[in-house]
Amino acid sequence: MEKKNFIGHLASWLNWQRFTFSLTLIFFLTGILFPFYWMVSSSFKSKAEIGGREPVYIPSELRLDAYKELFDPNNESFQNFGQNILNTFQVAVPTTIIAVILAVLGAYAIARLRFKGKEALLNSILMIYLFPGVLLIIPLFAMLAQVADKLGFNVQDNLAVLIFTYLAQTLPVALYMLTNYFRTIPDEIEQAGLIDGCSRFEVIWRITLPLAIPALVSVGIYTFMIAWNEFLYALVFLNSPDMFTMPIKINTIFNDPTPRPHVVMAASTIMTIPIVTLFLAMERFLTEGLTAGGVKG
Amino acid sequence: MTVLRSTLQRRYKSMQAQESRLAWALIAPTAIIVFSIVIFPAIFSIWVSFHDVGLHNLNDVFHAPFVGWENYQKVFSDFAFKFQPGQSWGAAVTSIVYSFAGTILTLVVGLIAALLLNRPFKGRGLTRAIFLFPYVAPVVSIAFVWRWILDPRPSGVMNNILMNLGVIDLPMAYLSQRGLALILVIIFEAWRYFPFAMLMILARLQAVDSTLYEAAEVDGANTWQKFWNITIPELRYVLGAIFLLRLMWTFNKFDDIFLLTGGGFGTKVLPVLTYEFSFRLFDFGRGAATAMILLAILVVFIAFYIGIVMRNAEE
Repeated sequence: MEKKNFIGHLASWLNWQRFTFSLTLIFFLTGILFPFYWMVSSSFKSKAEIGGREPVYIPSELRLDAYKELFDPNNESFQNFGQNILNTFQVAVPTTIIAVILAVLGAYAIARLRFKGKEALLNSILMIYLFPGVLLIIPLFAMLAQVADKLGFNVQDNLAVLIFTYLAQTLPVALYMLTNYFRTIPDEIEQAGLIDGCSRFEVIWRITLPLAIPALVSVGIYTFMIAWNEFLYALVFLNSPDMFTMPIKINTIFNDPTPRPHVVMAASTIMTIPIVTLFLAMERFLTEGLTAGGVKG
Repeated sequence: MTVLRSTLQRRYKSMQAQESRLAWALIAPTAIIVFSIVIFPAIFSIWVSFHDVGLHNLNDVFHAPFVGWENYQKVFSDFAFKFQPGQSWGAAVTSIVYSFAGTILTLVVGLIAALLLNRPFKGRGLTRAIFLFPYVAPVVSIAFVWRWILDPRPSGVMNNILMNLGVIDLPMAYLSQRGLALILVIIFEAWRYFPFAMLMILARLQAVDSTLYEAAEVDGANTWQKFWNITIPELRYVLGAIFLLRLMWTFNKFDDIFLLTGGGFGTKVLPVLTYEFSFRLFDFGRGAATAMILLAILVVFIAFYIGIVMRNAEE
């Protein structure tokens, strides 16, 4: 029997097709992972490492300089980032809850009940999906300023206003995805429930919703991600750093006259890790939603 | 008999009416919100584009003076909008170039990625999950990482790598060079959004009848021939659908360019210009007029989408 060393094995395994395949795969993986590596590793660099003449590819140790600036009140350029994280949650969580509840009701009606104008309604809601956000921000700003003036509240720096406007972006997606899901649940199951004397609401509560849990989870995560990542509306509606959501705060730190990339990267890492982890943990439920437009990109 | 039938009919009718009432009750909250924060504002924005609306009269918008086409004229004659060969493409042309080039590149990269993942290999599940990272990660973080990688100082990674390889002699300011900046935002677009195309293509690839390939192999077709004569025709519709969908989304895109270049150095697209008119100059009328021009071009794309994709989907 012929003995082969590593190179020999490699040579016999390798053919032209496998070679191009592996090369392309490596190219893709490096291209995707390097920016993420660079983000995380830069966040652990010291000011000297970040501002040196040559880039530091591997930080000498995990320094928390950047994180201290974000969270430590005793730091000279303390950013109070904890408040910004809190603000983001305060916007994203209510947006998710409201959007999912309203979308469940609406999607159920569209998927299950017969009524006039159903298709027109669904299509017009879908059209919103193709609508540019910049177009709506101008009239929304003018309208809400007017309403706020009448009712005596602030449009700017008001997280409730932000939640309200986020519904415009999340409701159509949630409604569309849930309608599609409800249509896959066989009608017979519900009919049986109705015949057994359940009311419509009981049917929704006891039969349809438990069956739709995977879809609810994925729609919930998507709406949460939209609110978590949203940039334009928050940029327009928020003015004071204490009210900023994370994206706006990161933008502000980036545009600071003294560039501190490690701090920007630390804040970006904090913003990215939960989303990517959430996605990886729930990937099984989520991939399908991506093609349905879960992330409007 | 007839009595029975008519009672049944009546009962059926009342059931239908009841069902329809319930449906409207369920959908009312969504419909009201969608109407008040999407449909009404969209119509109102047409109104704004014909009026002089600024910070000074924001408290009394509905009495803003009517100015006819003045806002539109101002936009058309604006330096940032006008197409001036040799100097600047202007926002409309830049937008169209950016969306078409970005979409095509996204499709090509997505197709390659889908073909890679379509063949079985160890760790395919994990690889697919990693491939989705750029699409899932927040745009703000991603844009700033790329800006940091493309940092103009010699300590920027891209500069360091290219200088060590001998490709460039001096550090470059990648995102502040006309032409190069536009190319880079287009590449960024493909980098970030190819996973969407990949997933759609992958789903379609897995539905292709494998006997087609077997038959082609019997006939002695090589990999390339199989790709051109089987894979591409099978993917035609899905590629068309992704192209139009991505084209519209890219055309509307504000965040990516705003964060990467701020709309400078030949990358000013219509959404960024709309933002600048409205929230830098606080001339909402002019901003709305720009948005309307954006919408007019978008409507052409939507018409194509409905005409081509939705009709094919029905067939």
